Amino acid sequence: MILDAHGHLGTWPDFLIPDPSADGMVTLMDRLGIDAIGISHLLAVGPSAEEGNRLAFAAAERHPGRIGVWQVYNPHQRNRLTDQGVWGVKIHPDVHECALDDRRYDPVWELGLPVLAHGQTGSPWSDPAQFAAVARRHPGVPLLLGHAGLWQNGFHRAAELAGPYPNVFLEICGSKMTGRWIARLAGLIGADRVVYGSDSCFLDLRTGFGRVVLAPLEDADRALILGGNLARILEGRLP
Amino acid sequence: MDVHRLVGPVPFDDLPQDPRPEMDRLGIHRACVTHTLSLYSDVRAGNEALLALRDPRLLPVPVLLPAAGEPVPDRDVPMVRLCPARHRFELTGPTAVRLLAELGVTAAVELDETSPKELLALARMLPGQRLLLLNPGYRRLRAVAELMAEIPNLWVEIGTVNTQRGVEWLAGRFGAERLVFGTGAPVLDDCGPRFLLDHLELPQADIDLIAAGGSLLGSTR
Repeated sequence: MILDAHGHLGTWPDFLIPDPSADGMVTLMDRLGIDAIGISHLLAVGPSAEEGNRLAFAAAERHPGRIGVWQVYNPHQRNRLTDQGVWGVKIHPDVHECALDDRRYDPVWELGLPVLAHGQTGSPWSDPAQFAAVARRHPGVPLLLGHAGLWQNGFHRAAELAGPYPNVFLEICGSKMTGRWIARLAGLIGADRVVYGSDSCFLDLRTGFGRVVLAPLEDADRALILGGNLARILEGRLP
Repeated sequence: MDVHRLVGPVPFDDLPQDPRPEMDRLGIHRACVTHTLSLYSDVRAGNEALLALRDPRLLPVPVLLPAAGEPVPDRDVPMVRLCPARHRFELTGPTAVRLLAELGVTAAVELDETSPKELLALARMLPGQRLLLLNPGYRRLRAVAELMAEIPNLWVEIGTVNTQRGVEWLAGRFGAERLVFGTGAPVLDDCGPRFLLDHLELPQADIDLIAAGGSLLGSTR
């Protein structure tokens, strides 16, 4: 089973996304053999969590089994969360300008669902060290460290910081990630702790998926990264 | 044909210095290469090391440093690369413009090394100059499109055009012949762009054209 942990629908203000649609996403997934993608709507990441989440659920309903929902929690809007029919919760500390380990995110951790969070080395909001702090406080919450810290000069450190916390996984989408770095991360933290994501439609689904397909990995490790690990994290939450 | 690869060491990572094994693994037959010494140390030493490679699979793209006392590549090369930000010179300064006019080869420049405004100015000063925009990224697609509309002699490397169906969007507006396959490896990723190339939603002839360097390299001396 091939599962994409990090997807989006919708537009983003500072650049053009030629195809922000769910239908376009599923068409590409069909071509590539991707079973399902977990998405948050970019409207929800941005100014309206409630309305964006509604759009995400609507897209999932139109594409049953193919699109899963990461419901966004905005700590300023304190929007409702559900534990039904979702992959988990998405938070973006940098957009929300609220640090990952800020107590205002406590409703997210208390829900106990898997959490996908934007991660960015050196950021005051989402540095990998903050993931370690949260993982220590909430060892039962599966926590996906988005982009593995985003910047190449932070990948190694992200793996070292996440290593001691078995509930933290390195999610590998991002424009600075390389096939070589995916293989390195698998070597550093173990392939069972690395999770494929594409950041599509923000980024192109084919580029993110192809990066793993062509990365210099053993096939067993590639299978874990492309879906085996996420299937384990989402056990009971997939159709 | 990967129009954007590096050969040599970089100071910030442990990366393969020879691109050929990875090119073989990914099915990339030829590459335009620049030596990392030209970017991270000494332009002249890098160009000398580059021109000493003499491998027909690796087309040398020396770095042009428009400064007094710096040598100008005198060997037949497909293009030169300019790094105005890294090497702190003006892309539209009199020295750069004069050298480019004299050389008459394609000039490759990363978008982050310059600005759309500078590129437009250069194109006005040298209307016949062929430009290859390296590493355009995905966040400035609107600006890249404006450049492609305004500068008929501008080609775009697609490796970092990485937003959903961004390559098809550019191809639909400006034609696949204005796009070229390139990666920036090994600093930037080559696996994802190589996969994308095979999965573009374009006619096979267009994909083949992009893979071969668009219409850029076919008519470069």
